Amino acid sequence: MTKKREKIDTKPLKFLTAVSSEKYSKPTLTFGSLIASVFDASMGVAYVGKKASEFHGSSVNLTRQNLTDWNIIHPGLEVLQWALKELKKLNPENEALAKIQFNPDHVYEEDGRIRVFMPDVEGKKIELVLREGELVGELRKEMQLEKYDLAIIGGSQNKRNLAHSLIQYLPGSIFVLQKFNPRKKYKLLLLVDDSTATAKSVEWGALIAEKLGWPVRTLTVSKTSRFGAGYQGAADMAKAYFDSRGIDVEQFFLTGDPVRTFVEFAGDNHIVIMGASTLNPLKQFLFGSKPIQTLKQTDVPILIVR
Amino acid sequence: MYIDILFWIRQKKWLLIALLYGLVMHTFITPPADLTMAAYDTLIIISMALILIITEPLPLPAIAMLMIFMQVVLGVDTANNVASSFMNDAVFFIMGSLMLAVAIVSQGLDKRLALGIIKITGHKTWRIVVGFTAISAILSSFIGEHTVTAMMMPVGLTLVRYAHKDPRKVAGLTAALLFSIAYGATIGSIGTPSGGGRNVIMMNYWSEFGVGTVSYLEWIKYVYPMVLFQIPFTVIILLWTFKPEYDILDSAVRKLVVDVAHAGKIKGKEWLALFLFGLVFLGWVFLSEDVGLGVIALIGVFLYLAFGLVDWSELNQRTNWGVILLFGAAISIGIQMNQSGAAQWVAKTIIVNLSQIIESPAVLQGSVSVLLTGVMSNVLSSSATVAVVGPIVLDLGGDPILIGFTTAIASAFGYFTAVAAPACTIIYSSGLVRSKDFLRAGWKMAVLSIVSLLALSLLWWPLL
Repeated sequence: MTKKREKIDTKPLKFLTAVSSEKYSKPTLTFGSLIASVFDASMGVAYVGKKASEFHGSSVNLTRQNLTDWNIIHPGLEVLQWALKELKKLNPENEALAKIQFNPDHVYEEDGRIRVFMPDVEGKKIELVLREGELVGELRKEMQLEKYDLAIIGGSQNKRNLAHSLIQYLPGSIFVLQKFNPRKKYKLLLLVDDSTATAKSVEWGALIAEKLGWPVRTLTVSKTSRFGAGYQGAADMAKAYFDSRGIDVEQFFLTGDPVRTFVEFAGDNHIVIMGASTLNPLKQFLFGSKPIQTLKQTDVPILIVR
Repeated sequence: MYIDILFWIRQKKWLLIALLYGLVMHTFITPPADLTMAAYDTLIIISMALILIITEPLPLPAIAMLMIFMQVVLGVDTANNVASSFMNDAVFFIMGSLMLAVAIVSQGLDKRLALGIIKITGHKTWRIVVGFTAISAILSSFIGEHTVTAMMMPVGLTLVRYAHKDPRKVAGLTAALLFSIAYGATIGSIGTPSGGGRNVIMMNYWSEFGVGTVSYLEWIKYVYPMVLFQIPFTVIILLWTFKPEYDILDSAVRKLVVDVAHAGKIKGKEWLALFLFGLVFLGWVFLSEDVGLGVIALIGVFLYLAFGLVDWSELNQRTNWGVILLFGAAISIGIQMNQSGAAQWVAKTIIVNLSQIIESPAVLQGSVSVLLTGVMSNVLSSSATVAVVGPIVLDLGGDPILIGFTTAIASAFGYFTAVAAPACTIIYSSGLVRSKDFLRAGWKMAVLSIVSLLALSLLWWPLL
């Protein structure tokens, strides 16, 4: 655990927040900014819009070029402009960020996306990126290209349908903010089992709890009344880790179907944190996994740590 | 590694489905007795191409290449014959019109256009909707809907933004103005052969299949009344459906006029650009029967380049070469459908099956061409629809010229989705109109267009 904590402390993290519109993405961006500050991470904001049919793509581009002559910018750039304004509001103490102006002329096409040129803020990058295409594919490309550690995505019915693809194909951790209410008091619910990703999810959970002062619960679910050494060991290790950081933690051991138990326990007032599945990708593809099923069935924000 | 393979499968599943379909159909299924192997394979290639075009797992040029090499690999025709059917005047026209669009739009004539429209319409919303619809329809008849929409969109969006800071708060006004551009351009695009690539593809089929020829002016005589008839009804439909929030756009119009007034007086280069387009238009009207519409479009592009009105780098960057390749391949396979007998077989099958439901041959031919084309153009693209459906409907029986007109006109009935017509895709890309807006107005437009086409074919064409 100590080794992993050092890793988090030393490696600069990069988080990517996906936004779709001013109307729907404010909670996502607010939480994305909060989580980035908790982890002292660099932040990217990506707008993923629909791609025009290839038949008419050049006509659309021709029109867009013409529209820029009339000072009408791409609707995706408008969303990114709003996102920058919102980030400034969320971080009023950050003077360097406050000085950055969004300039729609400072955009360039690179690697199949449009980037807005942004200077570094206090040594950290802020990326504003516009992509067009299918959500999972574009987020995957962006995460691979910029080596993001975490993608933060707003929740919607569509996300639930995409749960399988999001978890299976995004090459980092993901935070899906289902029915997230920034004003609501949440508790952190850490799902602890013998998965290798549990250790990292405990560390991330501890950091969030420490910085935000949120109450923490751990939940270990066994299908039978007997909790194996792996489960018990993981729960003990989690408890020890929280104790070592001076964080109070409530531990729960329940018996039953893991996913159903997670979902029922989480109710509507927890933020769930769990490790990614260690199942072979082919098995996950064919049979799913606990994180996939949990994301599909739960209605609360869920962080899946990889 | 596993993840990369699984992800590739996820992204390319429709390619795999198309290939599997082709393999199974070619290897394991016996073709109908009255269909030659070449015709059967042609139909397989077309089905595979349709799956790929609709689902887009591959770039368009790759689909074009597949259509070309499959003809040779499956033994439908020789490489040289496929190559010679690949390039013809219709492909020249599509290439030329895409380049002309870039050349014309880059002249900045949209500001003059905006001023001209406002001078005529004044500041009442309904009059502006009339102006947008009529100007888009008339201009798109000659220079293509993608060019007109690219020029009109800034005018429409600027008016909307001056009317309200947040265009979403004036959704009715926004939709009325943007749809007046898109639907105006779409209904106008049927008016002359140069209004859209699909019209030229149909003319090319008439000539390739020895059906006959139709001149530029004859096309206008047959079809233009429908354009004029639809303009006022389109306005009524749009105002009825979207109900703009403001009756008068006084302040927005004033701000727009101030904006465009900065452009100053019309400059020499702009006059030259207009003059050259005038020459191209005259060439289409008077010389296209001898020289070909496509060649005249290319002469126009040559003149724009020669007079330095547009840079080659700009043309090269903004022309969709993939579409040109795809239409080359689609027309090539269309010709193959005719030569191999595949088109006749499909037409005969449709007639035999549907004649039990519809007894009158004329009604059957009309219904099939309108419904098949109308439905396909909503999921494909209008030009691709004509390229695929054209050879079939020309074999349905009846007067192939009139059936061809019906098909070319019906291919513009793609009102329900954003994918059918370039004008619809362009307004959708603004992010200010929703898919359901297309449905709300689209069904009314479809009814209007079908009624107009019926009136045209029953009342106007018999007089000619």
